[in-house]
Amino acid sequence: MPEILPDLEEKESSESKSKSELEPGYLVICWNDPVNYMDYVTHVFRKVFGWNKTKAEFHMLQVHNQGKSVLTRESMEKAEHYVHQLQKYTLHATMERDE
Amino acid sequence: MKLLRANKAGLSFHISDREKRALFKLLELYPLVPASYPKLSRAGSRPEDQQLLEEALNAQRNEHKARVLAMLKAKSRFQAEPHGHRFNLKPAEAEWLLQVLNDIRVGSWLLLGSPDGMVKIFNALNEQTLPHFWAMEASGDFQMTLLHALTGETTAAESDSPESEE
Repeated sequence: MPEILPDLEEKESSESKSKSELEPGYLVICWNDPVNYMDYVTHVFRKVFGWNKTKAEFHMLQVHNQGKSVLTRESMEKAEHYVHQLQKYTLHATMERDE
Repeated sequence: MKLLRANKAGLSFHISDREKRALFKLLELYPLVPASYPKLSRAGSRPEDQQLLEEALNAQRNEHKARVLAMLKAKSRFQAEPHGHRFNLKPAEAEWLLQVLNDIRVGSWLLLGSPDGMVKIFNALNEQTLPHFWAMEASGDFQMTLLHALTGETTAAESDSPESEE
């Protein structure tokens, strides 16, 4: 009877991938654009992240003055979720690896 | 469009006939932002992740489109009153309408060539682009009225005050 060994290499690879995806190594970034109103951007940040007005305005002003704001650092899955939510409001948001 | 009442149950606006026609004209444009416009990452993402984003946005777009069509058809949504109509919205409805209006605003801006600043917008204006400029500005105007009603940033006379018949 042939000996059946577990496929350790594949298991390791899959585990390390999911571990990397679970690590908070992704930045959710909102980029400036000349079309979205400042009040609207503040409102969206409050709705999506549940932030208070002060924190939402801080990030909105960072977007406006510096061209972008890092909104949060999350796992791949959560970062994707937030980008989806922000894009639903037509904000210019992306997720980038935190190198 | 003027806010008459705002509370947890909903928002109530007075909207003139002309404003209502403008709102309907705008909503008929939805959706305007191309499905390929939103990008998950600037550095590049896995095609399947980008596809997932586009599918999620398309699903939401179809849902909003159905809501918009229902709003345009439902006569009860706009109750006739002197000099216009009473326009009632629940907070959740105002929230999706805000997303719809911003899609129209951003989509119109893209159709204008994504100009940066009013001078560039005016330089881009001609007979073909003028409707896009109108849509961008008009949707922005409705958007701000809704936004201020939702966030409670209205004048004391408008917010949570007894309804006034004008």
